[in-house]
Amino acid sequence: MAAETDHNTLLMACADGDHQALRAIYTLEGARLLGVVQRIVGDRATAEDLIHDAFVKIWQMAHTFDRERGSGKTWIFSIARHLALNHVRRRHREVTVDDETAERLEATNALAAAAEASDHFDWLGKGELDRCLAELDAERRNCLFHAYVDGYTHQEIATRLERPLGTVKAWIKRSLTALHECLT
Amino acid sequence: MSDNTMPRNAGDIDALAGEYVLGTLDIETRRDIEQRLPEEGALRAAVERWEKRLQPYTRLAEPIEPPAALWGRIEHTLAHASQDAVVRDTLSPPTGPTWLQALWQNLSLWRGLAVCGLAGMLTLGTLTALKPAQPAAPRFLVVLMTPQHSQAGWVVQASSPRDIELIPTGGFEVPPGKTLEFWTKADDWGGPVSLGLIEPGESRHLSLEHLPPLEENQLFELTLEDAGGSPLDHPTGPIQFIGRAVAL
Repeated sequence: MAAETDHNTLLMACADGDHQALRAIYTLEGARLLGVVQRIVGDRATAEDLIHDAFVKIWQMAHTFDRERGSGKTWIFSIARHLALNHVRRRHREVTVDDETAERLEATNALAAAAEASDHFDWLGKGELDRCLAELDAERRNCLFHAYVDGYTHQEIATRLERPLGTVKAWIKRSLTALHECLT
Repeated sequence: MSDNTMPRNAGDIDALAGEYVLGTLDIETRRDIEQRLPEEGALRAAVERWEKRLQPYTRLAEPIEPPAALWGRIEHTLAHASQDAVVRDTLSPPTGPTWLQALWQNLSLWRGLAVCGLAGMLTLGTLTALKPAQPAAPRFLVVLMTPQHSQAGWVVQASSPRDIELIPTGGFEVPPGKTLEFWTKADDWGGPVSLGLIEPGESRHLSLEHLPPLEENQLFELTLEDAGGSPLDHPTGPIQFIGRAVAL
């Protein structure tokens, strides 16, 4: 894996108009970005379109990247993730889950029923937030990761975990506060 | 949360930023936050903190090797983006409507847009954003293309969410006994609404007084109907040109 400085340097080269620098970012991160976006939108053709749009945006916005305010890698992933999130949120404006999603979630639920209240994600050992995440209940961690990784809405998480919508909303809000306090 | 009041206290700003980065907010709130980020330092800093904390956990998604053709598409778009930049450079000083009219009339740009689709429109949006602020600048742009995306035929320019102008960018032959009818539909409407019959080759100014304000991603299309227009409250003929609104 490339060091942080590589991403920063490559973004600065993009800002100077170097196509090869963008190509290098694509080679380094293309597969991981496509994985992240595909997981959120659930459709391969759409995910590839969004990766196209993300790289065009990275190219056009590279001059706005400020290494003082964060890492290039984080900036790149944010662009791709938010394009994907805006896409799914625009498509599913309604709060209710459509039949197809509900069906899919129900099937997943049946499979996962026995594993309820245990972790749905192999989250440990990924980042500095580990220590604070470990202080939350498994179910609350599941809420956070179903949102962050799967791009689920509150309603989709509630359906997936078979919990009331209000409970899920409150859990997420409180978990974020707990994480924030743990870090400060 | 879909109201426009943003929290002012640090804890609430942090929670809102956290939900934005997690992705649980609805589209209206997401748009609201994205518009405020450039101006609101505290909110931006909170978002950047959450992005940094959570980014390592993107590894929970399995990587997927992109198909070989994907980089080619990106490179193709970048090549056209460079041409657009040349177009921009030849039009100095930028003078609002004239600048846009020159863009409308630039055939090679339209061919590029037709090929590049959304990415092309993003580029145009970015270029327009680079102009000095002007009070009467269009707020939405729609490029109406053939369903195969091979040719751009019309452009909708909206100077406000209630006033739109339909501008032809190329010729279109209406067969005898037929007419073009203009329709629009926002994401959450039940069906399309007719905006009337359109003469090919003529610009038309339309007021959307009786409709909700124009919104991002709103669909516009021109269908070929029998003379007099569709007898029903929805299109009955084939789509000739179609596009979605992009906020500028």
